[in-house]
Amino acid sequence: MPALREVQTAFRRALLEEDDGALAAFIADDGVAAIVRLAVHRNNVRISLTDALRDTFPVVCRLVDERFFAYAAHEFLTTSPPRRACLAEYGADFVDFLAAFAPCRELPYLPDVARLEWLLNMAAHAADAAPLPPSSLASVPAADAPRLVFRLAPSFGFLASPWPVERIWRLNRPGVDSAEAIDLAAGGVHLEVARRNGDVALRSLAAPSFAFRQAIAGGRPLAAAAATALAADEQFDLGAAVAALFRDGAVIAFTLAAEAPS
Amino acid sequence: MRDSDAAIGIGLRAPHVAEIVATRPALGWLEVHAENYMGGGPARAQLDAVRRDYPLSLHGVGLSLGTAEGIEDDHLRRLAALADRVEPMLVSEHLSWSVSGGVYLNDLLPLPYTEESLAIVADNVARAQDTLRRRLLVENPSSYLRFRHSTISEPEFLAALVARTGCGLLCDVNNIHVTCANLGGNARAYLDALPAAAIGEIHLAGHARVMRHGKTLLIDDHGASVAPAVWQLYRRALERCGVVPSLVEWDKALPPLTVLLQEARIAADIAGALGGPDASAA
Repeated sequence: MPALREVQTAFRRALLEEDDGALAAFIADDGVAAIVRLAVHRNNVRISLTDALRDTFPVVCRLVDERFFAYAAHEFLTTSPPRRACLAEYGADFVDFLAAFAPCRELPYLPDVARLEWLLNMAAHAADAAPLPPSSLASVPAADAPRLVFRLAPSFGFLASPWPVERIWRLNRPGVDSAEAIDLAAGGVHLEVARRNGDVALRSLAAPSFAFRQAIAGGRPLAAAAATALAADEQFDLGAAVAALFRDGAVIAFTLAAEAPS
Repeated sequence: MRDSDAAIGIGLRAPHVAEIVATRPALGWLEVHAENYMGGGPARAQLDAVRRDYPLSLHGVGLSLGTAEGIEDDHLRRLAALADRVEPMLVSEHLSWSVSGGVYLNDLLPLPYTEESLAIVADNVARAQDTLRRRLLVENPSSYLRFRHSTISEPEFLAALVARTGCGLLCDVNNIHVTCANLGGNARAYLDALPAAAIGEIHLAGHARVMRHGKTLLIDDHGASVAPAVWQLYRRALERCGVVPSLVEWDKALPPLTVLLQEARIAADIAGALGGPDASAA
């Protein structure tokens, strides 16, 4: 008698690798062949996971069309099936898969559109977190301010792209029927995605602000984040930038980094 | 609302949320899929809004109670955190598995029914109940295949699980109908073999009929009205266990809310004819 773990391994192989051999021997025919019965489950898995990816990447789906998307999803889910049961969290690797997927090379902007959709999805489902008021910094001596490390709300995400992905995304959302042309040479974007007042918002940032916020989000101390922004714009107003972070409800915690490394 | 209406709920699906919050139809309760609410944001806010008007039942689809490698700590903790926040009237999961080798297969996959699998499922259910600090209802699956090495019938397996863990049962009468049609069994005998006192909830849904190699298979797609034979099983279930919370669910080709409310009305009429919730001691 096969152990349960052996049955489940064989079942997983049958579903993902289309290798029915080991499993079929365990299944009773009962008038309908084992492989026909197994096909019910294989369809359930493939269709439901493809639907989940389409829910998360609707604009990618529209850009490549339904049939190609189903093909790409099939290839993806075979090698990168979900590791968790919350399907809104499935598909982080789909971005890199598309970037490396040879049939997509004609659409060089596609991976960045996918990155944007992933950030929007993460922003929609990220855990709720209470923002800190600016007064919470009152306890930090001015001399320590350069060592401040802020933790941003988990809904915040950042994307820099050489393609006009915001425009591509806006004009290709489900239900949008636009004849407007998109100039792929129009230049790149610096985007921030976050939940504001409960809803997901996408906005474009100036390059210095983007550099600052992305550095902060990456856990860099305030001095290092400021240096990144000042390299892009020597007029960068650090005080205003920190105030804006709090005003946007972005900061949920802070710590002090170890004494400045040389 | 009649007493029998209070026993009837529907499965809450995202396209219906706004209408339910706005119109507050006369339903006793709502059931949500736990995995859709394990993050934050708009979905969680909607759940909080619905919860102000209706008791909620949390129905998990991802715990994988039948997995040989043991249920995942992280997922169980998230379910427990959600239950602590929502304070549901019921928490349920499935007699099935979805996780193998750390991969989540997103289907309710069938188990061989053996002493080994019974011990594994019982351990997993016990651990889930310990963490949740409440009784879990375990739902009978819809089955499309049977393992040659099974030695225990499905209702006997469920009865043994109840005896070992103190869990309750979520009796899905559509699943009983589908399973018995697909595997060749008597649905009424299956139902009668379940321990009536353990049944804490009933599920009602529609199914599809497909032809495969000249044979009919029923697919539990929750994409149609409840079939007449399933309403018959529902009557029988209520005769055996009294009126327990009963749910109409619909997933595929989701119709307007009014269609679900009509199905809920039929269920309430059946429950009402059988004496309402006070008969539950029968």
